[in-house]
Amino acid sequence: MDTLKQKALDYTLGVLPKEESLLFEAMLEEDDEARSSLAEAQEDCTNLALSSKPKSLGKEVRSRILENCQPGLCFDSFLDSESIQKLRENFSRQDKRYQGGGGCVPLKGLQNSQVQDELYRLYQDLLVLSPLVAGDSNAAAGDMSGLQKVLQKSPSFSQSVDSLLSHSIEEDHPVVQSVQRSLLSSMPSLSFFSDRLNGGSFAMGDVRRLFYLCRDQLKIMRASFGDIDPPRLVEDEKLRLHSAGLLKTKWWGAEHAYFSSQGKVRCGHFFDGPVTERCVEFAEYDANMYCLANLLSPRSANGEFHMELIKDAVPDCILAIATAETKMEKHEEIEEIVHGINPANPPFQNDQILWNLIEESMTRAHQHASLSELRDACLFGCQRMENSTYLWFAWPAIENAHDGAEA
Amino acid sequence: MQKIENEVWERIHNGDISAFEELYDGFAKVMFSLSLEILGDRWEAEEVIQDIFSVLWKKPEAYSPTKGKFSSWLLVLTRNRSIDRYRSRKRRLDRGETDEILSSRPDQMDKDGAEKATASDEHEHLHRAFTRLPQEQRQVIELSYFKGMNQQEIAKQLDLSLGTVKSRTRLAIEKLRNSLSTLRL
Repeated sequence: MDTLKQKALDYTLGVLPKEESLLFEAMLEEDDEARSSLAEAQEDCTNLALSSKPKSLGKEVRSRILENCQPGLCFDSFLDSESIQKLRENFSRQDKRYQGGGGCVPLKGLQNSQVQDELYRLYQDLLVLSPLVAGDSNAAAGDMSGLQKVLQKSPSFSQSVDSLLSHSIEEDHPVVQSVQRSLLSSMPSLSFFSDRLNGGSFAMGDVRRLFYLCRDQLKIMRASFGDIDPPRLVEDEKLRLHSAGLLKTKWWGAEHAYFSSQGKVRCGHFFDGPVTERCVEFAEYDANMYCLANLLSPRSANGEFHMELIKDAVPDCILAIATAETKMEKHEEIEEIVHGINPANPPFQNDQILWNLIEESMTRAHQHASLSELRDACLFGCQRMENSTYLWFAWPAIENAHDGAEA
Repeated sequence: MQKIENEVWERIHNGDISAFEELYDGFAKVMFSLSLEILGDRWEAEEVIQDIFSVLWKKPEAYSPTKGKFSSWLLVLTRNRSIDRYRSRKRRLDRGETDEILSSRPDQMDKDGAEKATASDEHEHLHRAFTRLPQEQRQVIELSYFKGMNQQEIAKQLDLSLGTVKSRTRLAIEKLRNSLSTLRL
């Protein structure tokens, strides 16, 4: 192959050194032979692409991608609202940004040894499940037999969650919160999809959803209990930027479940760039997002809700927003939860916990002990606009960060 | 493969959703097959495809006719993005970072799942032609095209001269090209 053709091929394959690439691009401007070599190289690369083994994509991927063409929901009124204006006036950058890990307690510190054992077993079962739903698993390739064999082991994840929630835990506040975060954020959805995959009626998208839920749940449990898996926690504590894209990929077009209620997620305004600096911070952020989704999805009037991450609408801050069309009585339920009215009201006891988990996380993220001051500053909240309920929380943005990594 | 070229891109540029659907239906499978071949992970390959289609819809100006044929550009983009992900994953594992998903995967069975892939004639033909290449030529192509290694790196890894790597690459590419010309006759 002569030099020009080789250069064109290397350029197309992205292996030509940068300086030579620039020279080649300059040649393309004026040299017909260079242009024809590039066209030939591209054609050869197309042939190489077509030499890959043909694989098919599920229908849910198509609908997810086409959904992205729909115009995004307009957030202008919400962002111009009095609450968000108040947030703008009150939000200030911390000298030292919170990087997660503040809600971590030892599992062995739990006085109830039965809960301790069950939580540990749950974590171990999820470690076994993870590779069975990964992108290179047999389940991802359509063979569910191995996965179903594991899921048929008793008790199911739903039973484990029910059993763990039935215990009353008389412990210090942070310990209780770690248990609650581990059981009520991503776990209800995980249980729902594992039950569905164990049953007869499922789609490939459910395997994908279970993969993300497993990954998130494991990270949330490690960030909640420091001694549940110390070697992996060491990795989770290393500095590594996590991009908003990771959240978008997971939430975009997803089906969400909170115990028996389900909802369809829409995302249209996710910004590009990093959200968190360490896995432990990402786990806390993720848990908060799940809490928002769990509060809103059962109350949506049309079965849909929006999850959005908007940056720069408030300087130095990333706004996580969940919104859905709601009937007035459902909105009022959420208002009561947000304002802590009747916190022990049995039907909404778990929902109250979800909001409390977000509030506690806000005290850590903003390094401020007074919840009422944070609430007054509108760092988190709830409001109704037209027929929709909006829930949000503000998270400190990463300074001078332009890039995001993969988790 | 369906023939969808610059005219479709023009329509997408004008916000025509039906053109975007045509593009997806014409290219998504081959893009996904390529990405999956490189990454070996279905969910990661789906994410690559989602990202590319998202860019195409929101920033169609990412392509311009000066970049060559639209279809070729699209496949080069798919390949390069998949290689970037593959490298980033490899770097993380090389640094010794544990990954509960990556480190404990079972071997995947060689099957394509419940839905049978319906490949275009060209795709099926070229895949067969690729599998019939001599092993030493296939290996060089796998490392360069599907793993993103440059020729010096391949020469080092396979303990070959640079000239041998170049000639094997050239022969493989020519065989694929010739095989396609027989299909198009």
